[in-house]
Amino acid sequence: MKEELKIRCVMSKDSLPITGGEQALYALVDIKTGGGASFGSMPANLGLVLDRSGSMDGEKMDNLKEAAGYVADHLSDKDLVSVTIFDDQVESLIPNQPAKNREDIKSKLARVIPRGGTQISDGLRTGMAEVKKGYSKDRVNRVLLLTDGQTWDDEDACLKLADEAGKQGIAITSIGIGEEWNEKLLLQIAERSHGDSHWIQNPISILDVFRQEVEGMQSVAAVNLRVTARLSQGVKPVKVYSTIPMITDVSKKAVSGQSVVADLGSLDGKKGQAVLIEARVPSQKAGKFRLGMVEVTYDVPSQGIKGKSIKADLFVNFTPDAAAAAKVNAEVMNLAEKVSAFKLQTRALSEAEAGNIAAATQKLQAAATVLLNMGEDELAKAAEREILSLKKTGVLSPAGTKKLEYGTRKLTQALTEAIK
Amino acid sequence: MKCTECQMENIDGALFCEECGAKLETAGEMFDSEVEAGGGSQLVLKANDGNRLELPSKDDVVIGREDPISEVFPDLDLTDLGGADGGVSRKHAVIHRAGTSLTIEDMGSTNGTYINKKRIQPNVPQTIKPGDEVRFGKLSFSLQAA
Repeated sequence: MKEELKIRCVMSKDSLPITGGEQALYALVDIKTGGGASFGSMPANLGLVLDRSGSMDGEKMDNLKEAAGYVADHLSDKDLVSVTIFDDQVESLIPNQPAKNREDIKSKLARVIPRGGTQISDGLRTGMAEVKKGYSKDRVNRVLLLTDGQTWDDEDACLKLADEAGKQGIAITSIGIGEEWNEKLLLQIAERSHGDSHWIQNPISILDVFRQEVEGMQSVAAVNLRVTARLSQGVKPVKVYSTIPMITDVSKKAVSGQSVVADLGSLDGKKGQAVLIEARVPSQKAGKFRLGMVEVTYDVPSQGIKGKSIKADLFVNFTPDAAAAAKVNAEVMNLAEKVSAFKLQTRALSEAEAGNIAAATQKLQAAATVLLNMGEDELAKAAEREILSLKKTGVLSPAGTKKLEYGTRKLTQALTEAIK
Repeated sequence: MKCTECQMENIDGALFCEECGAKLETAGEMFDSEVEAGGGSQLVLKANDGNRLELPSKDDVVIGREDPISEVFPDLDLTDLGGADGGVSRKHAVIHRAGTSLTIEDMGSTNGTYINKKRIQPNVPQTIKPGDEVRFGKLSFSLQAA
């Protein structure tokens, strides 16, 4: 029987030297669709939660209406859709319903007039309530949240809603337009709900991002994806990163003692998923050593599949042969480098936020060097510009911060797209 | 293991320095555990996703992106591997073969040619060998004997 998914585990090294001490080892768990996969078998349940505050007036609102119209046109009659609009008040413009009244949806959108401030949590709460009305395990349940502004003192409420959404299997894709919104909040909303996040600089790109989202929902191959690693005595997991759709440090929730349990939401069949586990391995005698076992579990509701599991054992050789132990796997190296760039950027930004200018500058300089070596010239330049900004003003620029936050998280995305 | 860039002590086996992100010495040359470099005369460029491009047997192999409008037809066209998004120039680099020796020369590309992560100067041929990582813009390959 053909499996819906297949996994491939690759270690940073096939062989480790016998050092007498603990060593770092990285395991890449690559998850892709197998021969038995069926795409697009799950209908969507999509809730658009759209900012109509005064600052959205003009080009942003015009493009947003066009992009929302595209969504209405490209969902199938079997899909469910709802549209919630918010400023400092909320309106359920299109309650949850089958996505077949396309002209009605578009004419209601056309009448939206920008006004008021931005209160994201109220919009999100109402939007989620609409998605819940049509919630079913057999659907891809998702919220698309778009804003251009800072929310008014309700960040905690937003994060609680994101946690709740994550637990219920409703992923929130958060989208910020322009520069005046809180990237930290939008990224956390996405991460906590196993969603994606986008920064749109030019309103004309709203349509592109909405199109990607619709296509992404239509290529979901499995849901409730979970990666578990049970490691052998003495082997300690240290860090775990999921890397699709963006690099996310999931260590805090996933690592506990000798185990890793990472919940990763749905699997986009076209993009797959890759998880990087960094572990510490105790010294061993020469010979083959079993590191532990990796298990990937998932559901494919349209085929009545629940909790199906694929397992793989992880091994490494301990060898006195120095040449063999010096060989590093190129694929793992490549992914670890992207994660390393992401980590440097994260630390630079948090040092800057804490007012530690010298430390932030040093980290940004290191990030710029690493990014330049990776061929990410634009991101490297952005890091250098922020070093100047720190020197001149003592703070980072809003646009530069967003460029680095989103750019380094999506280094893996760029690779998928470039090599495809 | 000490980072040669910032002198920070890192655990053995770490691939990148925790402090400055520099590639650590033990990472050494990039090796692909699935395929070893051998001594054959046929050469391939292997992408990280397993795609293999065979180098045509000629003295100078131009690598780039095909563009019929400006009549550029490189010997190795990277368009299908995402050359445009990956920042590959139309005439990006050329690999010269002279007997068993191999050199690569960047043809003044916008986003550069890299050997083992180091950007090379344009128009100055540099020696390469099987096992080396070669990158054009963002697209990276390992040079291997077929």
